[in-house]
Amino acid sequence: MKLGLVIDLDTCVGCHACATACKEWNASSKVNGALSDYEPFGAEPSGVWFNRVRHYEVGDYPENKTINFPVCCMHCADADCVTVCPTGASYKRDDGIVLVDQDKCMGCNLCAWACPYGARELDQVPGTMKKCTLCVDRIYDEMLAPEDRQPACVLACPTHARMFGDFDDPQSEVSRVTAERGGFGLLPELGYAPVSRYLPPRQPQPVIDADDARALLERGLASLASPVIRR
Amino acid sequence: MKPAVSIIFSTVSSGAGLGLLALVALCDTFVLVAAGLASSVLHLANPKNAWRSFSRFKSSWLSREAVFAAALFPVSGLYIVLVIQSKGGASRILLAVLTCALAWAVLICTAMIYASLKPIRQWHTRWTPVNYVLLGHWSGALLLWAIACAYAARSGPFLFVAGVFGLAALAAKLAYWHAIEDSTQALTLERAIGVREGARGPGPISAAHARLLDVGHSHGTFLTSEFGFRLARRHARGLRGVALALGFGLPLAWLVVGVPRWQPALAAAVCCIMGLLVERWLFFAEAKHTVRLYHGDPRT
Repeated sequence: MKLGLVIDLDTCVGCHACATACKEWNASSKVNGALSDYEPFGAEPSGVWFNRVRHYEVGDYPENKTINFPVCCMHCADADCVTVCPTGASYKRDDGIVLVDQDKCMGCNLCAWACPYGARELDQVPGTMKKCTLCVDRIYDEMLAPEDRQPACVLACPTHARMFGDFDDPQSEVSRVTAERGGFGLLPELGYAPVSRYLPPRQPQPVIDADDARALLERGLASLASPVIRR
Repeated sequence: MKPAVSIIFSTVSSGAGLGLLALVALCDTFVLVAAGLASSVLHLANPKNAWRSFSRFKSSWLSREAVFAAALFPVSGLYIVLVIQSKGGASRILLAVLTCALAWAVLICTAMIYASLKPIRQWHTRWTPVNYVLLGHWSGALLLWAIACAYAARSGPFLFVAGVFGLAALAAKLAYWHAIEDSTQALTLERAIGVREGARGPGPISAAHARLLDVGHSHGTFLTSEFGFRLARRHARGLRGVALALGFGLPLAWLVVGVPRWQPALAAAVCCIMGLLVERWLFFAEAKHTVRLYHGDPRT
């Protein structure tokens, strides 16, 4: 199994619902313990998040476009964060999920240094590293209705820009949509084989091409002008 | 990368101590190595689990460093006792070989912790381990020269060894700085978010330039405090000058003068270590992690 996420950059509106839903679910999760906030009501609130949404402008006017860009753990097939961990706290499960055993972590930060995506954040309160669990405590929970056995970020997304599934199964929704839309992984050149995929924004198709538009316009003008000229 | 004082002190101090140990075991470098390695525990957020760092020797350079360092203490301690008591024979030679090998192993493991990190271009280079090994031997050789001036009949050979390591370390440091100036391997914001530079048409987002509009968080995060450290280029240039002058220029000049008295020799060693602290601070401050691309830096 190779569990991961698909993030559709075409439909993402950058509302941060995935990030807040993630925070809400995982703050009370037993997998990582609480997600600490530092001075949440102070002048400079900060805290641990597994999901961060950033916003970019791509291209130059008038061919520019805003890309809303959520980033969380890619659950890499060849995860260096696991390799560099000296205590064995970071590990990769058979289903592909990369987790941190909170009882073993010594908080050396080396895994965060090894992650190119910034998917790991140290929680200063227990002094341990925390990261996206792919909601491992939701997706296998048989007390939940089958449609609810998905990560909190996927369920929260109002534009269905996030999908969850098994990339090893070619029939899964995530595999099919990745193949159809040319899904890509981030920074493959670093060799970590990230599993999660991003779908590029669709290219806008012109309703009518430029030559046809000119011909139509000329015909229209001619039909308007002709009665005047005739008179 | 944020230059953490404990790590800078740890790597320079244990480097000098390990270089000296390797050369002696070829002394009381024990204190330096111990101070350096104790300092490395200071940067842990959860030190009560530090003992677990012996458990991943097969995969993690940090674990290997911990194992070799833990083995080095009893071996080198026993060796130093035999040296001081002028006893031993065959067992002393065996311990000398072991001490030397373990000191080298720790130095190399420390360097590989940094050199193995692919997201940091300025560290992921072959010059990183070369630098760590040669800089450790250079500062260690100066300390050894100071000790030789105080206790040995002839300090000339020690001066020669220090000079050779000094020139080699200087060459390695200059080569390292030259290597990280080469930005052809640098990653860009466009590549980080999957924009194919200059591409048009279908496929991953096609457009020439990308820039950050909004970083998505209102105040600092773990990522900005850990990776957001910025150093102005002109400050970097000035500090490189300081590192070169204190770490190499002055101690090498002292070697050329070559007064075989322990006081100036020790001053040269201390001066070199001050310079290497600046050098190690720069090693962190000049390193740019790929996370910074997502925070809006155009390139690493």
